[in-house]
Amino acid sequence: MPGTSIVDELELIIEDIGGGGGKHPPPGGDDGDEGGKRRGPQMPSSRRYTTAIAIGIVSIIMFFMAMASAYLYLRAKSGWVPLHLPWIVWVNTAILLLSSGAMELARRRLALADVAQFRRLWTVATSLGVIFLVGQLAAWRQFVLAGFYVSTNQGSSFFYIFTGLHGLHLVGGICALLYVAMRKFEKAKLSRVVAAEVASYYWHFMDGLWIFLLALLYLGK
Amino acid sequence: MGRFSHAAGRRIVTFGMVTYDSSGAASPESLSPGFLARTLFNTGHKAIGLRYLWLALGSVLVGMLLSLLMRIHLGWPGLQIPLLSGFGGTAERYTALTMLHGSLMVFLVLTTAPQAGFGNYFLPLQIGAREMAFPIMNLVSLWGTAVSFVGMTTAFFVRPNVGLTLWTASVTLFCLAALLTALNFTITTLDLRAKGMTLPRMPLTVWAWFINAILSMLIFSILLAACVFLLSDRLLGSQFFSPLTFLSRQAPTIGPAAWLSLWQRLFWFFAQAEVYVAMLPCFGIVSHLLSTFSRKPVWAERAAVLALCAVGLFGFCIWGQHMFSSGLNPWSPLVFSMLASSLGLPACVLVLSWFGTLWNAKIQLNTAMLFALGFVSLFLSGGVSGIVLARNDLAAASLSDEFVTGHFHLVMGVAATFGMLGSLFFWFPKMFGRRLNEPLGKLHFWLTFGGVYCVFMPMHWLGLIAHWRPSAAVIGTNTPMVESFDIPFSASLRTFVTAATILTVAAQSLFLANFFWSLWRGEKIEDRNPWRATTLEWTLLSPVPTHNFDVTEPVVFRGAYEFSGSIGAEDFTAQNIAPAPVDPPLAARECVSDSAKEI
Repeated sequence: MPGTSIVDELELIIEDIGGGGGKHPPPGGDDGDEGGKRRGPQMPSSRRYTTAIAIGIVSIIMFFMAMASAYLYLRAKSGWVPLHLPWIVWVNTAILLLSSGAMELARRRLALADVAQFRRLWTVATSLGVIFLVGQLAAWRQFVLAGFYVSTNQGSSFFYIFTGLHGLHLVGGICALLYVAMRKFEKAKLSRVVAAEVASYYWHFMDGLWIFLLALLYLGK
Repeated sequence: MGRFSHAAGRRIVTFGMVTYDSSGAASPESLSPGFLARTLFNTGHKAIGLRYLWLALGSVLVGMLLSLLMRIHLGWPGLQIPLLSGFGGTAERYTALTMLHGSLMVFLVLTTAPQAGFGNYFLPLQIGAREMAFPIMNLVSLWGTAVSFVGMTTAFFVRPNVGLTLWTASVTLFCLAALLTALNFTITTLDLRAKGMTLPRMPLTVWAWFINAILSMLIFSILLAACVFLLSDRLLGSQFFSPLTFLSRQAPTIGPAAWLSLWQRLFWFFAQAEVYVAMLPCFGIVSHLLSTFSRKPVWAERAAVLALCAVGLFGFCIWGQHMFSSGLNPWSPLVFSMLASSLGLPACVLVLSWFGTLWNAKIQLNTAMLFALGFVSLFLSGGVSGIVLARNDLAAASLSDEFVTGHFHLVMGVAATFGMLGSLFFWFPKMFGRRLNEPLGKLHFWLTFGGVYCVFMPMHWLGLIAHWRPSAAVIGTNTPMVESFDIPFSASLRTFVTAATILTVAAQSLFLANFFWSLWRGEKIEDRNPWRATTLEWTLLSPVPTHNFDVTEPVVFRGAYEFSGSIGAEDFTAQNIAPAPVDPPLAARECVSDSAKEI
């Protein structure tokens, strides 16, 4: 029966990524954190954080895809007024890309257990994120000065809603980065490596999302 | 704040974060949470599940009263009821009444109760976990949902303009809460299963909750986007849907059709799949109940699991097609119609699995089983009219509102309610340590079962009558003022529907009496497993202790539906019973393949 093999394969895949119910219970924790401690009655794997961020990202993609499809749909109708993006968004994009780069460098330092250097680079990445947000506000200002308000036309409505919602998601990201930077991980059940990994997935995703939205606004102008 | 920083507040955090992984001195049992931690900030999955159920019970009562009010307005338009007449007296108020009834029933009952209510309570228990993956997030969703309930209800009582904004904001909040719940369910199922709880061993209920969580996560994002657009139009003056907020001097050049169809598309992407969000958990629960009370394994269990997956997938693809084929191009009725009909395939597999389970079984006709059987009956009856609606030539001829109303109430609303009532009768002993009264439950079942058929079957009929008469297009609209009674037959049929509604709603007082009486005075259950069921929750005390499983972690050795293949005197084998042979892991493996062979 083909169904059997599909379910079996699915099971193997999910056990591989999920670390849930295995057939042969490993003697100790395979979580990486909480090494010396007695494994609690049921210590949930720290992988749940990575799973959570992966699934959360899918959900956010759906959200922005719905918006993007609405954009494409309305743009295809007659009467679309072309949109001129303020020049500062290109500078902002470069800043966000630099921030992602700094974060990857920071994670490499962390992999080498160089926590001091990690902190420095991580702070650079966080600051670049904040600068990006300020830059986006400047872009709004430029847009307003050019006479485009939220209510001017549909194109400008989309510009504000895309940048605004992306910015809102980014504020969440900055909070996560600050958490990783400030938290003392010695006592936490979450290790710094995992926390940095999860935060960086989200951050890179925000980076990619911004490029997608910018491409949409630029190509669809 | 002072109070919060006190011990209670500290405990809340402890309670939420480490219940299961604290070790030694900080064992969970040593915590005795304070008042706030037990009530408002209780992050325990059982407390949260129960709260969702209470919320749904409140909503269903309000929603049912609203439907009664609507029927009374339809039946006797001139009737003046003190206090209540103002709610539906004019056409606008009547529409608002319908909207409130729909929002409460769909969002806070059908979406919330089977998934967030029973799911939160029993998903961790059935997979052998101590808690959901993210308890604090779970609490946030609960309160988000509760606030959205208050918002939606308040929206009905304020000025229409403010009310609509409030309603949209409440739905936005509900979407966010539903997304967090879905995220929590998915991760809990993926990462928190007990040792040995492999995917094929998961009960069908867990499968259904899991698939439903994935589906909700995808579709509530869409509704969230649509609501954000609408809110931004209403509050910020953006231009996604409405030309009314146009502030600049430019004349609007786009036809209103584009705005309307955009909202309709975004909304229906969501709403098409929302039907399956309400139904999926009920499919799982009904399969589970039928198997338990037939004392037989679920027939073709893996096919049923695949069918559940297919329902989720097809439910999603309907709007997918909707989006790609009609987002930029003209409407493509053929593809849409074919996909809608293709949903019949997994539905047929499920129905076959249910009948296969019932075939030649020693059926125990208790109330939970009756409701499960009632679900099958309603699902079949409603499904048949669904085939008519899925054919685009018939549906396009507009079978009138009443046909559609009859169809979706039977298949989605009432069937899902039967699923919930079945699960309540089934799990009540585990939740409260007492049994619901069986004779009263059976009486309630038969009255409700007869009642809903008397209400919704004539509605199909009325729809067909309206379709036959071309002039009846006006009657089909939901405004009571234009109700015409020129045809004696349809008029008497309408009165019959109204009378049946009153009786059915009145019969629910039996349920309420039974529920509240049993809660405090019902027969106490000493037995951990009164239904002789196989899943892990029945290995625990009733009501379930705060931290579910004791220090010993549950280990699962077999599938969820091992009836008849008994070890010892019982006719079932619980999932945590180790097989007798020497090499346990090997034997556990064989057990699974054995049960697969049986299928």
